[in-house]
Amino acid sequence: MERQPILRGLLTGWTALFLVFLYSPMVVLAILSFQSGPEGGPQFPIEHWSIYWYRQLFNLVPASSVAPLPLGGALLRSLALALTTMVVSTVLGTMTAQAFRRHFRGSGVVFYLVVLGMMVPGVLVGLGMALTANYVGIDRTWWGTVFLVHVVYTYPFSFLVMLAIFNRFDRSVEEAAWSLGVSPVTTFRRITFPLIFPGVLSSMLFAFTLSYDEFPRTLFASGGDLTLPLAIYGTFSVEIHPNLFAFGVLTTLFSFALLAVYATLMTLSVRRARRVAVQEEIA
Amino acid sequence: MIADLELIGLRKTYPNGATAVQDVALTVEQGEFVSLVGPSGCGKTTTLRMIAGFESITAGDVFIRGQRINDMPPEKRPTSTIFQNFALFPHMSVARNIEYGLAARGVKPAERAERSRRIMEKLDLLDIADRREAGLSGGQRQRVALARGLVVEPQILLLDEPLGALDANLRRSIQNELKLLQRTLGITFIFVTHAQSEALVLSDRIVVMNRGRIEQVSRPVDLYTRPQTPFVARFIGRNTLVGGKLTDASGSIETPYGPMRGVVANALLRRGDAAQIVLPSEALEPHRDGADHDRLVAQYDGNVLSARVLAVEVVAHTRLIRAALADGREILLEGHTGQGSAEGLAPGNPLLIGLRPEEATIVAAEQQQGKK
Repeated sequence: MERQPILRGLLTGWTALFLVFLYSPMVVLAILSFQSGPEGGPQFPIEHWSIYWYRQLFNLVPASSVAPLPLGGALLRSLALALTTMVVSTVLGTMTAQAFRRHFRGSGVVFYLVVLGMMVPGVLVGLGMALTANYVGIDRTWWGTVFLVHVVYTYPFSFLVMLAIFNRFDRSVEEAAWSLGVSPVTTFRRITFPLIFPGVLSSMLFAFTLSYDEFPRTLFASGGDLTLPLAIYGTFSVEIHPNLFAFGVLTTLFSFALLAVYATLMTLSVRRARRVAVQEEIA
Repeated sequence: MIADLELIGLRKTYPNGATAVQDVALTVEQGEFVSLVGPSGCGKTTTLRMIAGFESITAGDVFIRGQRINDMPPEKRPTSTIFQNFALFPHMSVARNIEYGLAARGVKPAERAERSRRIMEKLDLLDIADRREAGLSGGQRQRVALARGLVVEPQILLLDEPLGALDANLRRSIQNELKLLQRTLGITFIFVTHAQSEALVLSDRIVVMNRGRIEQVSRPVDLYTRPQTPFVARFIGRNTLVGGKLTDASGSIETPYGPMRGVVANALLRRGDAAQIVLPSEALEPHRDGADHDRLVAQYDGNVLSARVLAVEVVAHTRLIRAALADGREILLEGHTGQGSAEGLAPGNPLLIGLRPEEATIVAAEQQQGKK
């Protein structure tokens, strides 16, 4: 690489461009959220900076012609949905990956059937779920049909993450535990699980984010109570006010916080192992 | 007395139809050090894993102290296993690794600490008790794995190529430790290795396996001097095998190089059968061609071969001679420099090779082994 400054420059430029395109929409949104209110729609450049719209979100300003965003309930629903989806799909994904560590009859077919779950068009899945629910005669709810659709959607991702982790997992560590008299259940809890924990974290992060902003599947499968992405979309169709941008900034910050928790847990578990190694090298 | 371990007609067939182990029968006494050796894929590791409970048993029985353990899960068996890659628990300290098996067996904390301290002392691990696997050298990992397997006081310790991942020097020093440890503890060791030298040094008895079957079970010295099958003769030591026809079941064989005499290892061999005579490289004694031929024939009871020297290599007191027999076939002679009468031999010189009949073994011909 050192000997090819042109290529190096090109690749650097490409990476920079990627980052610009990735973050600039969010930056624009963030900037727009800081304009003064309550008059005026989205405008650029900002004339008066203010946190009016953030305060408006929490009903801290006098009532105006702009109604407060009806997103509180949707936010709670989406969080609850994402958290349960995360847990359920990681547990299922881990169990399935565990099963795939040994070849069983039909394992190839089952593998593709599971992975296909993330390939099928989301809108169709949602529609199918809605039709099925109608046909069977059950209500469409965010905690019922939507939850089901979310788990089905995120489960293959969890499965693939855990499959990759188990592929690199040394089976003899478990056999060693058995041969010392440790029961299979305890072996999984005390030996296997701590070792696959980074994978479990990744799978949880995947499942959470996928569910948290899932749109096409949820669109048809949900009933009257909307999830956050649906509710946000619903407000678009009326009129867009900067309070929506403020809300967008806050939820993005929340996602970043989640990522920070993930990164911290990850480095902790990696460093714990490495620190001991480094100490020994110095000694 | 009940044997520590008894294998009866053991067989392993995989779902795809491949048979890894068949007709394996073996009895091991308490405190014995038994090695399973053979080329890779011979079934030695599969046999060990069936004893440990990691592989299901297709047919046959495994008894430990008279108890049939075929259907017993690994964690209930009175065995513990040492793995080639050590398989330490990377998220636990050395001390915790060693104590963990005791905790799982419900040993009280105080006794647990005492027992693991004792084994760590014995294996010189106290200084590194708080380290994790990542901070250990290969030799230390090996000793931790041993301590972890031994502290639960298994009836039988199963070792799956435990020295395979170590370099040659470390191997040798740990070999000695291992033997000493086994003697002092009196635990039965079943040791799988593909390195015959390791097995020859360590074992009370060696089981040679080939293609899923047992070829021979012998003390190391017998295995070396009295191979019973052509496979063993080729696998152990540096032997030259010469084919021929048995002219007398008591030990005469007609070879392309003339009649020779040896000890018949296979009782099934009859007069007129195709057979092979095994010529161990270190039992062959070189003589200059000028030597009195008749005297040599008398001295070696007729076992004298004519050859031509190809190369001579002398290292300190050992001498290696490569020579070609009458039809050009190569033969190796290994011995100390004083052996025979061969001073000053150079490539191209004619050579007479003598072999005492009691040091030669007659085994079946190769084809017969395949049919069995």
